Amino acid sequence: MSNIWNGPLKKIDDWRWLIPREYKKGMLTDGLIFANERMIGEIRKDQAPEQVANVACLPGIVGHSLAMPDIHWGYGFPIGGVGATHVDEGVISPGGVGFDINCGVRVIKTTLSSDECIPKKRDLLSTLFHSVPSGVGSEGKIKFTQPELKKILGDGAKAIIQRGFGWDEDKLMIEEQGAMSGADTTAVSEKAFERGKSQLGTLGSGNHFLEIETVKQIFDPQIAKVFGLYPDQILIMIHTGSRGFGHQVCTDHLRVMQNAMRKYNIYLPDRQLACAPFQSIEGQQYFSAMACAANFAWANRQLITHWVRESFEKVFHRSAQDLGMGVLYDVAHNIAKIEQHRVNGKTLKLCVHRKGATRSFGPGQRDLPEKYCSVGQPVLIPGDMGTGSFILCGTARAMEESFGTACHGAGRIMSRSEADKSARGRNIANELEEKGVLVMAESNATLREEIPAAYKDVGEVVDVVEKAGLAHRVVYAQPIAVMKG
Amino acid sequence: MKSYEVLNHTADIGIVAWGKSLEEVFAHSAQGLFYLIAENPCYKLTFETTVSVDGNDYEDLLVTWLNELLYLFDVEQVFLCEFQITEIGQYFVKAKVKGETYNSAKYPLKHSVKACTYYEARVEEQKPDLWRAQFYLDI
Repeated sequence: MSNIWNGPLKKIDDWRWLIPREYKKGMLTDGLIFANERMIGEIRKDQAPEQVANVACLPGIVGHSLAMPDIHWGYGFPIGGVGATHVDEGVISPGGVGFDINCGVRVIKTTLSSDECIPKKRDLLSTLFHSVPSGVGSEGKIKFTQPELKKILGDGAKAIIQRGFGWDEDKLMIEEQGAMSGADTTAVSEKAFERGKSQLGTLGSGNHFLEIETVKQIFDPQIAKVFGLYPDQILIMIHTGSRGFGHQVCTDHLRVMQNAMRKYNIYLPDRQLACAPFQSIEGQQYFSAMACAANFAWANRQLITHWVRESFEKVFHRSAQDLGMGVLYDVAHNIAKIEQHRVNGKTLKLCVHRKGATRSFGPGQRDLPEKYCSVGQPVLIPGDMGTGSFILCGTARAMEESFGTACHGAGRIMSRSEADKSARGRNIANELEEKGVLVMAESNATLREEIPAAYKDVGEVVDVVEKAGLAHRVVYAQPIAVMKG
Repeated sequence: MKSYEVLNHTADIGIVAWGKSLEEVFAHSAQGLFYLIAENPCYKLTFETTVSVDGNDYEDLLVTWLNELLYLFDVEQVFLCEFQITEIGQYFVKAKVKGETYNSAKYPLKHSVKACTYYEARVEEQKPDLWRAQFYLDI
């Protein structure tokens, strides 16, 4: 299936490429991919553009079927895909969110400089490795009873903070304040509870990570100041999601949607896009369960935040408050959200599916922390483990053009087996250490599959996002230590 | 005839499996799934259970079967190695599955498989006594 995609891509300008709706029967709108000319050649190498065209077939889709420049071949939606549907006339699709519901990124700030941190990075990383469970099949350090878990599914990060794992102000710096409304645990299966209960407070494996970084470059000093970022500052980035709980919620509801498709006479080119009208019982049940999984993920990143703070306290013998370890922001990049957007002069209530795409709300938007309201939200974009990460801010242009959305990372270009093959016989940890990046991983296989060459250049992805106006670069940070599952 | 082979995918991983019968292609698909989780995981078969799932058609049945096994892996913390299909039809599969409680220090794990997807999922009888199944996993 990794054949070249030969469909039509009409160049609109240097950053926009259109798949006309005439390309495929069933498309209700055009596809729009944000990319530069060089990237388009790469994007054509697999079936991601076909998936953009498939998303354009979702009943009730509004605007274009969008793809961010980190687009790559997924299942159902492409990774980097965005599809907004009308809440009254459109559908909701679990395939537009994915199995790792509310996979996302949180950045914690510090007042430490790289000079203070680099000599202690080995100690820090092994303390973190000890404190934060990671890897395939890892179990959380705290066992939650079903009633406790139910509370967490409703209240998200807030429930964790109330138990003493965090600061009150943390929740203000989380998308949805760490608790998506509409969560209803009756829509969650017993299996999801079973699968999730031991995994709360675990990093997981694959592309999930915990990283210590140094701010290397400031692109916009004024906005950096609003975000509380400055040169040589140490940041911590957490990338993980809803673990087995979210996987099971998606699995369960995808099955329900298979039957719903027949019931509502919906025909789509890919069964993984299975969906139901948003207002239907099946649609509402999925949304309620997905909100529970989103809250699980925010609770997960909150617990990990607590252990990160404890680890830094242990190594530096100073309190986390004294180390300035406040949360910069926490974003979801696999989620469906109910949002209002202006489309052709009208304000519409939409279900915005973001599958490997980050919200990028511009200045003045409701739902943003007061502190960021004048400049736009922080958009947290991790790169691969060898390079670095970008922090951008949301823009007014994104509100007009992409339902307030930007990219979510670098995006893979190499399959796992290709990456594994090219890394065989090499000591990836040593190679990274020579570049100043200390890495600890639960599995060497993960390290080989996650080699920097397996990913697009995050700088190029962010460049397209900036030039297309979907987000504005504020800071670039380089890793000094990475923990992988 | 190989039991299964890995299919390349940019972000995830696929498996194509073959079998002389529908039973065999379902068992080989499950072996392919657990091969991606860890190579050669079982030394002693200490775990045994029965699995029973239904589906709307062969593809739905395959995806549901594999997701049920992944659920067992996650919740029971067992590698599964033997898959004896006791009954199978277009809409249901029953099986006796055996495996071993895993210990990650003893068996290094390869991939965390989130789920089996419906994307390009296929089950077909290519000719008499040759069944082929394919599926993609979210890694």
